[in-house]
Amino acid sequence: MRVYLEFAKKSFQNSIVYRMDYFAGVINAIVMILVNIYIWKAIYEEEAAIEGVQFKIIVTYIIISFLMQMVYMMDEYFIENKVRSGLISMDMLKPIHFRWYVFSYNIGTVVFRLLLQFTPAIIVSIFLFNLLGPFSVLYFSYFLLSAVLGYLVLYNLNFIVWISSFWFYWTFSLVTIKDAAVMILSGAMIPLWFMPEWLVDFIKLTPFDAIFYIPIRVYLGMVPEQEILSALFRQVMWIFILFLIGQLLWKAATKKLVVQGG
Amino acid sequence: MAFIEVHDLVKEYKVNIRNKGLIGSIKSLLIPEYTMKSAVDGINFTIEEGETVGFIGPNGAGKSTTVKMLTGILVPTSGSITIGGLSPYKDRKLNTAKLGVVFGQRSQLWWDLPVIDTFDLLKYIYKIPENIHKSNIEHFSEILGLDEFIKQPVRQLSLGQRMRAEIAASLLHNPEIIFFDEPTIGLDVVAKEKIREFVKFINKERNTTMLFTTHDMVDIEKTCDRMIIIDHGKKIYDGTVEEIKDTYGGNRILSVEFGQNYENILMSGLELIEEKGNKKHFKFAKDDFQVSYLIQKLSQQYEILDITVQEPEIDGIIREIYQGGIKLNESLSGVC
Ligand SMILES: Nc1ncnc2c1ncn2[C@@H]1O[C@H](COP(=O)(O)OP(=O)(O)OP(=O)(O)O)[C@@H](O)[C@H]1O
Ligand SMILES: [Mg+2]
Repeated sequence: MRVYLEFAKKSFQNSIVYRMDYFAGVINAIVMILVNIYIWKAIYEEEAAIEGVQFKIIVTYIIISFLMQMVYMMDEYFIENKVRSGLISMDMLKPIHFRWYVFSYNIGTVVFRLLLQFTPAIIVSIFLFNLLGPFSVLYFSYFLLSAVLGYLVLYNLNFIVWISSFWFYWTFSLVTIKDAAVMILSGAMIPLWFMPEWLVDFIKLTPFDAIFYIPIRVYLGMVPEQEILSALFRQVMWIFILFLIGQLLWKAATKKLVVQGG
Repeated sequence: MAFIEVHDLVKEYKVNIRNKGLIGSIKSLLIPEYTMKSAVDGINFTIEEGETVGFIGPNGAGKSTTVKMLTGILVPTSGSITIGGLSPYKDRKLNTAKLGVVFGQRSQLWWDLPVIDTFDLLKYIYKIPENIHKSNIEHFSEILGLDEFIKQPVRQLSLGQRMRAEIAASLLHNPEIIFFDEPTIGLDVVAKEKIREFVKFINKERNTTMLFTTHDMVDIEKTCDRMIIIDHGKKIYDGTVEEIKDTYGGNRILSVEFGQNYENILMSGLELIEEKGNKKHFKFAKDDFQVSYLIQKLSQQYEILDITVQEPEIDGIIREIYQGGIKLNESLSGVC
């Protein structure tokens, strides 16, 4: 176990080295929040409801969503780079679980983003954009739990895309498609309650709403208390399913791995 | 049962055939065509505990492919490998704990981290006891001279420094087996020598089993007792280094500097192979003629300033084997 903690530490240190990425991440999140708030402002001004509760909720939704997106940002090409350069063999030559290694690497990054990106960004958001507080203390703890689960859903989904680089070598287009799907279907940009019903019905069959939509709704207190457990369970179920698919693919990948060069 | 056993090992790579031209590439995109290319073609060998084996062959012979299968990162097409009773691929995690591997072509150090940080990580990866870890680092630093760059990030190291760090890193956990694939590639003579001494020392000290791939015959001569030669995925020789030298090193080179430029020097037993003015090099078979006899004969007829006799280098012999100049003969015990 200790070794994975060390990996996370190293990845944390590594994130500090790339300072540009750090500033870009914070600025990007704030700009995205700003732009989206202005879009919604324009929409609500038409309807003259800018002072209403509706608008305040949307603003909070947007802020929480983009802050979560900032923290959840992962290195999409970590595995692909290893596969293409053949450096994957160096990891396979070590007596470690590769999946745990990749995971701890990502955890190190998350901790970095929470401490050094999230903190300044949330402070700016509170002062600049009128962020609503959580619905209640209890709901806030549900939110924290749900946000962690949301991260794990996204992580396991991403892992499936990453591992496909063992077959395709280049995953840029796949990553782009996945990003677009997450952006639209997870409610990251537009709350799903604005979507047509048939689309929402479809989304309910996918893991996407388990990433952002469920935790944000919990934060806003929009999930009735008796439904919270089943919402969390939905997230857990998707983590489990995606993890299993990832595991099968990983097993197949190690069998077909061709280490280039040498 | 030997420590390492390899039976009928085969590896075939699937190779995409790309057609030429625009039409061709569209065709390849729509209907991919493959051929199977066999890189390792039925190799057998066993290695006992503590043996040092040089694994050589011309470019593309299948050496790296074999080493990758031995380490468990590449799955054989057919055949079997066992190392201490384990399958390198199926018991990969268990097996790798016992291995020390260096691929000269790629680094296993973390690019952004100082060397010492990598050593630290390895301590956790292999669960190396603190005291062993510490004494190994001290020890290796001394022999390999790591101190001057141990705090520098790996990306800033010179090739020779990096290789020394790689080798130290691969041995920190006192592995039972070492697989080296061209660890001396691109190094200067001094660095090569350091690495050879180190490897030899480790083998002696810890009875480590070792398979050493290289194109530098001196590496083999200085570090290995046994030599396996493969070509086109097949084993063509398996025996001692000495034996090959004795059998095929039958010729000697006689270099003579004459007092004047003689036109035609004819003498039975001597074959002129190179001349530069007064300096001429001859080849003769050492079993058919005695050197003293040849020298005496020459000096009777010609004015001689200087004379030297050279043993052929193993390099030359191997080169001739690769080029098909030497047919390994069946009487040689090492021939398979
Ligand atoms: N990933 C791959 N896909 C297809 N063919 C490959 C692949 N890797 C190696 N080969 C082929 O397999 C053969 C053996 O390659 P290998 O790398 O084992 O040679 P080698 O003996 O290590 O050579 P060298 O001395 O040049 O390092 C070569 O003909 C090579 O072209
Ligand atoms: Mg090679």
